[in-house]
Amino acid sequence: MSNLLEIKNLSYSRNLHSILENFNLEIPQGQIVGLLGANGAGKTTVMRLIAGSFLYRRGTISVQNSQTVAERKSKVSFTEQASHLEMNAPLSKIGDFYNEIYEDFNLTNFKQLLAELGLKIDQKLNQLSKGNYRKFVIAVTLARNVDLYLLDEPFDGIDSMSRKKIIASIISWKPDSATILVSDHHVADIANLLDSVVVIKNKKVIAKEAANTIREELGQDIETYYESYYGEENDD
Amino acid sequence: MKFDDKVPIYYQIKQYIYQEILINHFQPGTKIPPVRQLAIDLTVNVNTIQRALSELIDEEILISKRGKGNFVTTDLQILNQLKENIVEEKLEIMYTQLKNLQISSDEMVQYLSDYIKKREENDHE
Repeated sequence: MSNLLEIKNLSYSRNLHSILENFNLEIPQGQIVGLLGANGAGKTTVMRLIAGSFLYRRGTISVQNSQTVAERKSKVSFTEQASHLEMNAPLSKIGDFYNEIYEDFNLTNFKQLLAELGLKIDQKLNQLSKGNYRKFVIAVTLARNVDLYLLDEPFDGIDSMSRKKIIASIISWKPDSATILVSDHHVADIANLLDSVVVIKNKKVIAKEAANTIREELGQDIETYYESYYGEENDD
Repeated sequence: MKFDDKVPIYYQIKQYIYQEILINHFQPGTKIPPVRQLAIDLTVNVNTIQRALSELIDEEILISKRGKGNFVTTDLQILNQLKENIVEEKLEIMYTQLKNLQISSDEMVQYLSDYIKKREENDHE
């Protein structure tokens, strides 16, 4: 299997503060990979760098062999791209907007995703509850047809029914060849979904393992595996 | 379906499908649900379902027909063997646990038949 995402020797700092150092990561095509780490470990930063929202000076990031920011952007759909929207607009108008700016956006899929998630097309964005807002973000993100989906804490602060609906959408809408990188600090939420996990700590990837190996060879559940790298210190 | 997170999910899905076949929810010769439907029903990744199904196909319990889906075998020998294997697995666990308690084989038979009687009486009440 070829690697869909390759990050080599990436170093990134902001305001003289080093966030990633010699960060390396390879992710094969078609997998759902959990990006795990404490708050502040750099999960969102890694996603922003992959998506081209942050620029870096040292190292390389390639998505399906594309290294330039413009090419990468066309191959990556990132939940954060659904923020900073006109809050007073109905979801239908936001769908039209996305349809204008992204060639790979599928308006029909977007509407179907909204319906499956229990959202109405005439609802206004600023009137959505937190759980419904998360659902909307997932609908926008999955309605693009790309190689790599970056889902940053998609279940943060929502109830279990919303979480289940979002998980069902991810399973049913992920194209077989597409790859998903999903971050979460409550691993148990998504453990069943993952092909493998990547643990970030101290500016680096400190562990990467297939979910089957963790269970079969280490005899651990994913949460225990993750916590073995963090211990009790990360109680958020 | 509730999974034990310490056991590989594909393995638990295989056990689930074995059970569905044994209790005739998935009948011999019939088509089982499509991969993505199973993934949604069981809330797991499509790759995990595929891994489970490909092992079941290797075991000849499922027959894959290109473009049509996966079908439960009609080979009764294989299905009987499956039942025997699963019963044996359960017995193996019980046997090991009782042996660890230094229960002799004769006692074990006695305990089991007593237990079955007791259970049947209780279930009738």
